[in-house]
Amino acid sequence: MADLLELLVSATASGCVYGLIALAYLLVLRPTGVINFASGEWAMMGAYAAYVISDAGGLPPILAIPAAALVLAIIGWLTEWLTVRPLVERGAGHLAPILALLGMLVIYHQVVLLSFSEDQYPLDGPFGFGRIEFGLLAGSYQDFFIVGATIAIFIGFWLFFERTVWGRSFEAVAINRRAAALMGINLRMVTALSFAGAAAIAATAGVLDSPRGSVEANMSLPLAVQGFSALIIGGINRVEGALLGGIVLAFAEDLTRRYAPIPSGLALGVTPVLLITFLLVLPNGILRAKEAK
Amino acid sequence: MGAAIRWGGAALIMCVVPFLLPLYEMDVYRKMLFWVALAISYNFLFGIAGQMALSHFAFAGIGAYTVVILMTQAGVPLLLAIPLALGLAGILAFIVSFAATRLEGFYLALATLAFAQLFIVILDEGGALTGGTGGLTSYKLPLVFGFEIQGPWLAIAMALVLLLTLAFLLRIDRSWYGRACRAIRDNGEAAAAMGVDVKRTKIMAFTLTSVMAAGAGMVYAFFDNTVNPPVFGLENAFMLLFMVIIGGSGSHLGAIVGAVLLRLLQDMLEPFVGQFHVMGLGILMVVVILVQPKGLVGIWDDLVGRKRAGRRKAKP
Repeated sequence: MADLLELLVSATASGCVYGLIALAYLLVLRPTGVINFASGEWAMMGAYAAYVISDAGGLPPILAIPAAALVLAIIGWLTEWLTVRPLVERGAGHLAPILALLGMLVIYHQVVLLSFSEDQYPLDGPFGFGRIEFGLLAGSYQDFFIVGATIAIFIGFWLFFERTVWGRSFEAVAINRRAAALMGINLRMVTALSFAGAAAIAATAGVLDSPRGSVEANMSLPLAVQGFSALIIGGINRVEGALLGGIVLAFAEDLTRRYAPIPSGLALGVTPVLLITFLLVLPNGILRAKEAK
Repeated sequence: MGAAIRWGGAALIMCVVPFLLPLYEMDVYRKMLFWVALAISYNFLFGIAGQMALSHFAFAGIGAYTVVILMTQAGVPLLLAIPLALGLAGILAFIVSFAATRLEGFYLALATLAFAQLFIVILDEGGALTGGTGGLTSYKLPLVFGFEIQGPWLAIAMALVLLLTLAFLLRIDRSWYGRACRAIRDNGEAAAAMGVDVKRTKIMAFTLTSVMAAGAGMVYAFFDNTVNPPVFGLENAFMLLFMVIIGGSGSHLGAIVGAVLLRLLQDMLEPFVGQFHVMGLGILMVVVILVQPKGLVGIWDDLVGRKRAGRRKAKP
């Protein structure tokens, strides 16, 4: 029982990381219709940024998180400005920005590989290493910190989208770009902000995740795959869907790995099987789109 | 008649070259033919039929692994193993595309990416059947009339697969079917309104090109007499996409140019700049998409077109 509960705590923490990456996909996908496979690279770059900031800059880990998010927000904004905006303004379809971002993915990855060696770098969590118990629930400091931070971020985004005029304008662009533009919403601004925000969220996910393992260039591909799988599982229409999808995916992965009578290598098949199943059976994910008010 | 001479000439050159090259260059050459063959069929799937599938390399792998497993573990003779492996790839491709016809754009990319991932997981965990992460090694083609097929002769086999793929796809591209594919790519609803059976056309394109990939994979399996999972993984699937786009998606010539260029870049630059050549790949991709979505072939057309236009202007 204690074993199961401990597993659930760490699975929830993994699910929160997946959920944050899914949110990074969602922030770009909703207003622009573009799926940004570079989200995993942004998470990896965020982790490297936090490592440099706290190691060379000497900032405490808790401050390294917003600092890394800020660095990546700038990179995300630059990416939009350099590679996506020219395509959108030319009226190229959805495919062109997706492919341009794939090219950027390769560039990001190589820049990191060339700037750092292929080593793994350690990154401390804000509360260091240690174990904490709340009654039956037990887990590492970092696991509980990840869950708390993720909930705070999702509540923040939910309030932003539901309660502020700015957030509503994002939603309006997602529903109908042209109509939104005619209503006086600045499409350029919305697109630029969604890329900057998505990069910052992905970076946060990377920084939160890496104290549980290490900072390394290879962390980007699994995070990218688990992020879009979580997004499809939860449904691309709602912010909460990203978190729900992430948690469902992490539970399925961890419970299979721990309890299913199959070799652990085969448990890697859980994510693609879930993704294929959802795409074919429930393409809108667990959460449906809200009815129009 | 002219066409027959052209095709015959191309075949002759492609078959003579491997005998003139030193061993290492011959190996580079035949692997390049493998990539070109895959790029040609992938270009039809992605560039002409408009399906962004990432399963093309997985199907090459299915062809390669199946033929080897049938021959070495089930004792099936080569001449029977080839059609059986092609048939299996065709059935799998049919199932995948039948399920995927409801998915559009990047949803298809995600589903086929998941399929490709699953294929690698199965290869890694297949035990003795697939040889696990190390793959299958040290098998051999049977002797044909006491003669061992190896080295440049396999390059000829790959050249024939390549030419067959190209000739067949060129032919259907110019037929009613090719136009239906392009119509669906540009506007599916309009194509349906014109009487095109969208679902059937899509399934046919996917199945056909995937079987062609399996055919190329089969010859590849005997190049080094080894097949292993990394060759058929995601990295190469994306590489194929990059080749077709950089060369010029939708153009047969573009697929060939892209595949040859990127293979040459890799083989010639890697010894000098190491991993750095991959960065060049990313930069090339972004620049091509921003400057000329029709790829290098499109840029060439622009240059030639501008020159012609300039000449016309010069004459009063």
